[in-house]
Parts: sequence; structure tokens; C-alpha cells
Amino acid sequence: EAAAMWWALRAVRRPPPAFRRGLAKPARPRSVRQLREAEEAAPVFQYAGKAAKRKDRVFVWGFCYSGALGVPSFVKPDVGWKKPRRIQPTPYRLETEEKISSAACGYGFTLLSSNTADITKVWGMGLNKDSQLGFQRSIRDRTKGYEYVLEPSPVPLPLEKPQETRVLQVSCGRAHSLILTDSEGVFTMGNNSYGQCGRKVVEDETYSESHLIHQLKEFDSRVVQVVCGQDHSLFRTKKGAVYACGWGADGQTGLGHYNITSVPTKLRGDIAGVNIIQVSSYGDCCLAVSDEGDVFGWGNSEYLQLASVTETTQVNVPRHLPFKIGKIKEAACGGTGNIVLTEEGNVFVWGYGILGKGPNLIETAVPEMIPPSLFGWSDFNPDIRVAHVRCGLSQFAALTNRGELFVWGKNLRGCLGTGRMEDQYFPWRVTVPGEVVDVACGVDHMVSMVKSFT
Amino acid sequence: LNAVPGRAPRQHVRFLPAPGDDGAPGLVAARVPVLADHPLVRGPRFRRLKIGAGHRLDVKASGVFVLGIGHGNKLLTDLYNCHLTKVYTVGGLLGKATDDFSDTGNLVEKTTFDHITREKLERILAVIQGTNHKALLMHSNIDMKTQEAYELAVKGLIRPMGKSPPIITAIRCLQFALPEFQLEIHCLHETQQYLRKIVHEIGLELKSSAVCTQVRRIRDGVFTLDDALLRTQWNLQSIQNAIWDCQLKVKTELEKTLG
Repeated sequence: EAAAMWWALRAVRRPPPAFRRGLAKPARPRSVRQLREAEEAAPVFQYAGKAAKRKDRVFVWGFCYSGALGVPSFVKPDVGWKKPRRIQPTPYRLETEEKISSAACGYGFTLLSSNTADITKVWGMGLNKDSQLGFQRSIRDRTKGYEYVLEPSPVPLPLEKPQETRVLQVSCGRAHSLILTDSEGVFTMGNNSYGQCGRKVVEDETYSESHLIHQLKEFDSRVVQVVCGQDHSLFRTKKGAVYACGWGADGQTGLGHYNITSVPTKLRGDIAGVNIIQVSSYGDCCLAVSDEGDVFGWGNSEYLQLASVTETTQVNVPRHLPFKIGKIKEAACGGTGNIVLTEEGNVFVWGYGILGKGPNLIETAVPEMIPPSLFGWSDFNPDIRVAHVRCGLSQFAALTNRGELFVWGKNLRGCLGTGRMEDQYFPWRVTVPGEVVDVACGVDHMVSMVKSFT
Repeated sequence: LNAVPGRAPRQHVRFLPAPGDDGAPGLVAARVPVLADHPLVRGPRFRRLKIGAGHRLDVKASGVFVLGIGHGNKLLTDLYNCHLTKVYTVGGLLGKATDDFSDTGNLVEKTTFDHITREKLERILAVIQGTNHKALLMHSNIDMKTQEAYELAVKGLIRPMGKSPPIITAIRCLQFALPEFQLEIHCLHETQQYLRKIVHEIGLELKSSAVCTQVRRIRDGVFTLDDALLRTQWNLQSIQNAIWDCQLKVKTELEKTLG
């Protein structure tokens, strides 16, 4: 009876059928049909739209303590335990507010300029002991200026129409800089002890914390290119004439004498009447390329740069360099070596130092060609050509048409950007995450303008 | 192989008892085959074959696979030490990302790909080639400051002659039809999974995603697709012909590289 009672109680406590759960199916590997349906139902993510534009970026590398790289945390880290970084051996991205169209590296300072119509068109960073970056007002003391600028700071230009004029190009020398605009001539700032700023030399002038920015407008036609040598300046006008001012003890002004020139004067010699399409200089030697592919040189020739025409070590009148290497498209001058690029895309070097053909070639007066296979040319890639050549003080840089950057020369304080501290005796690729559009070489740092891939 | 008639059994001279003259037992010299050489005593000539494999080819890939038979295994190690490049045809599909980088894996993400053009792909491939060329020069363990390093670099003969991570010596796009594309890759010391990973990374660089659909080895050192035997040709005659044709090629290549 107890059992019957127990069974009756159990019968009452059984839940009604409506609440009963069906047996859940155990987990099984999903069938092909289920996988396909899950795949089709998955959401699609969009990372870049159809009209996505390629971004413009600036990469810097080299010696950091001068502030020329524009990254303050390299010199003064924001965290207490980090140490200041002396050298940046590989390309580092620099954030800029606008798209930078032209950059120039001087001796421990950098100028970046943009083609914008905004009020701030030029930014400067690095050494400012001779006001080569203009007057940078100090925040702590409003009457004094900064001697070192660690971040890209706007350079105040005395423009008449600041919202219409556009800055085309900048160039930097040892302690002075030139800014070229499209309608208001050339602005010069910095050291003027040799007249390189194009104004009369004032004795015992203090150049640091100076507000003076000189404007040059008197040329035969519009200036289209400005180039700074170590202590002299060159201007190329639209008509193909070249003007020079500054120090001339090595004949780098090309005016026929070895004195200082403080007013831009037109060059004569073998250049008179020739339409020059490009001028280049960085140390004390200068090269000019004409529209017919001839190259002219003047200035210092202690390192056999002009030894093909003369034995003297200083040439103060432009001389035609009779090289039989083909029509020359572009030339670049370094401190001790020169480099030219011909129409076929071949690169020729001459001068003294690490020229790029191995450790055995130290100096040559006649241009030697660098084999194109070192720039990536091979049977697999037959249409790689060098598009531009640039020179630093003892380094060379070449840009190919695929956007690759090759550097070689003395690796002074990591300026080559290869990641190693050793000198590079033949062209070596620099790994930059993007297509390199232009590069500016300085003494111990370099700046490159890069377009991202997608 | 065992059906091929082997060498004839050796003969030796034995003095066999045979009825001589006048019915007396005498010995007669007779040339008889050695009993030890009888096929039933000797057994089949080949019971085992030593077959060695060349560079690995995994299950999902296809193409040229080099095998060495018998004494050829020694040539296999020599060929490995030559460090010659291999050529692959790699097919990719844009818009998908899976966990094992091939189209049979579990789906991780789907993305759009209409912004991709052939020009962008070629730019990425140029950069991959550039960085791998740099890695090639760095792992070849030659001092960059010497004149011979410069001369080898000019000729393009610098190669890592020891262990190194996978290096791509050349890469180019053969076909591009959204969403599929096909690449030809020349590489050293690689695995097929590494090539699938490269396809995935190309997809990431293009701000989309890609999976690898096909990996096919076209050339392995000196052996190309023309030398390779198809499944239907796996018989003794074609194998023998293939070995015969390749011998000269292998010998010249070994002499050229290893000296």
C-alpha cells in the first residue's frame, strides 16, 4: 500500500505534457550546405571605398639631437624612463597638417613647404641659431626666440597676399634658407655674413633671433628654381639664366672673381645664352643642365669634379663638361662627388669618396656608370629605370620609376636609413612603406615624401 | 623491374661423374651453371628500392616533385645544397579571409574588393620583391664592404648558401580578373603554407582580404613541368627515359654551382 501511495504521488507530480522540452540535437560537424549558407549570410566589411585616394606621407630618418627630424620625443621623451634617441636608423613617419610638396634639408635643420593657399605654408625644424627658420617666438619669454626647434613650426613670411601666393619650393644651405613663391619672388633668411641672402653684408650683425626676412624680386624673369650651396645661393629663371650670390672663394658664384657677392648677379661664361633647365649644388661645387642635355660646372674642383676640363682646383666661370655619355636629364652635386642621370635612365658618378661602385673606386675624374642591375633591373623586370637622383653632403640617393629609393655613400650618423651604421659602397634599397615620390638629403638626415600604396 | 631478364648465371667448370669409356666411373669436365646463381635460389633481384624525396610538396599543392632512386639519393643532397630557386603558380581569390589562408578553411571575414586594380597589385608586388631582395643580400653572409660582394651583386649571383628564412626572388602578376588573380613566384627555402600566407598578406595590404586557391610548382631547380611524369606515365619505361634525360642536366648544374 505504501508503494501504491508513492506511485500515485509520483503520477500527480509528473509535469503536464505541454511543458515538456524536446530533445536538443547534439553538436555535429556542420554539413557543406550549412557552411555555404553561413558563408553567404556573413557580413561584408568595407575597409576602403571605390574612390579611396592614396595618402601623402612624410618619412624622416637620421640624426635626432639637432631636432631636424621634427619629432620632439626623440630629444625630450614624454615619459621619464625613456632615453633620448640619438639616431633614427630607419624611416619614421612624421605627422604633418598639410600635404608637403617640397622639402629641403640643411646642415642640422629642415624646411617643409606645402602648396596650400592657407596662411601657414612653410614649417621649419632643427637648428635656428642664425634664424634660418625665421623668428620662432619662445612661449616662455615673448621677447626671445628659440635656438632649437624640435617640432615643425610655422615660419612667418611677410607676404603681401598671404591667402593667394603659393610656395613652390624651399632650399637650405649651411646656415641660410631660400623660399620660392609663385608671385612674390624669393624670400631669404638666415646667415648673411657672405651675402648669401642677397642683401648687403652688415658688419657684426647678430643673426640669431632676427626678424629680418629679405625679399628678392629683381630678376630678368620669374624665378623657377632656387638652390642653396654651403654659403652661396643660386637662382634659375624662366628664361634659362642663372643668378648667384654669396661666398665666392672657391669660385662657386661663377661670376669670374673670388670675392663675396651680396646682390644676385647673372652668370656668364659657357652658360651665356644657354637655356638652363636645372641647377644643383650642396657644397662648394655647382652643376647646371641645359635643355639640350649638356652639363656645365663651376666652383670647387679639389676632388676632381671638374678635372675633365681643367687642372686648377677652383673654377670661377661656368665651363662646359664634355662628357660623351648621352643626353643628360638631371644632375646633382654633393660635397665631394657628383651624379648625373641620362635620358636612357643610366646613372653616372664621378668625384671623390664612396661613389657607389664598390670599395675600390675612391676617385675618378671621368663619369663611371653604375650598372642598372643594382637598381633592380633584371631580365624579369626589364622596365625599371632611375627617375631622379639626389645628393647629400657625402651620400647619394636615386629614385626609380617604381617608387623605390636607393641610397649609398658615407653613413654619417645613420643618415642613409638602411638600419645599419656602416657605410654603403653600392646602391642599397631603403624599405619605406609606400611609393617614394621625392627625397631631400642633408648632412646627417634625410626627408622623403611618400604616397601610400592604396 | 624484376621481370626484366637479369644477368646470365655464371658458369664454372666442374668435374662431374659420368660414365667414361669402358663403363668405368670417371670424371668428365663440364661447364655447368653455378647453382648459387639459379633464379630460384637467388630470388627476385630487387626486393626493396631506396627512394628519397626532394623538396616537400604538401597535400593541397600540386606540381613537380623530385624523387631520387637508389644512388640518386646522393645527388638529392647535392641538389639541396645548390639552393636553386623554385617557381610556383599561385592562384588567389579576393574578398575572403580564412584561418588557414586557403579556400577550404573556416571563414574569418568577408570584405569588399571593388577598389582594387591591377596597378595597385603590381605596386605591392614591387615592394615585396624589393624587401625580399634586401633579405637575399643580408642572409647571404657576405661582407657588404668588399669588392667581390659588389661584383656579385652587379651580376645578381648573391644567394644564401646556407639556412635562411623563405625568400622570394621574383614575383609577378600573370592574370588579374576580379575577384581572382594569379601570381608567378620564384622563391628559395619556402613552404607552400608560406606562399598561402603571402597571398593573405597581399590581401591585407590592399585593404581587403585574399585566400589562396591553387599552388602549383612549375619548376624545381633544373626540373620543369616538361620533365615531370603524369599519373598515367608511372611505368618503368617512362621512368627510365626520364632518368636518362635528366642525368646530363643535373650533372652540369651541380658542376656549375658546387664547382
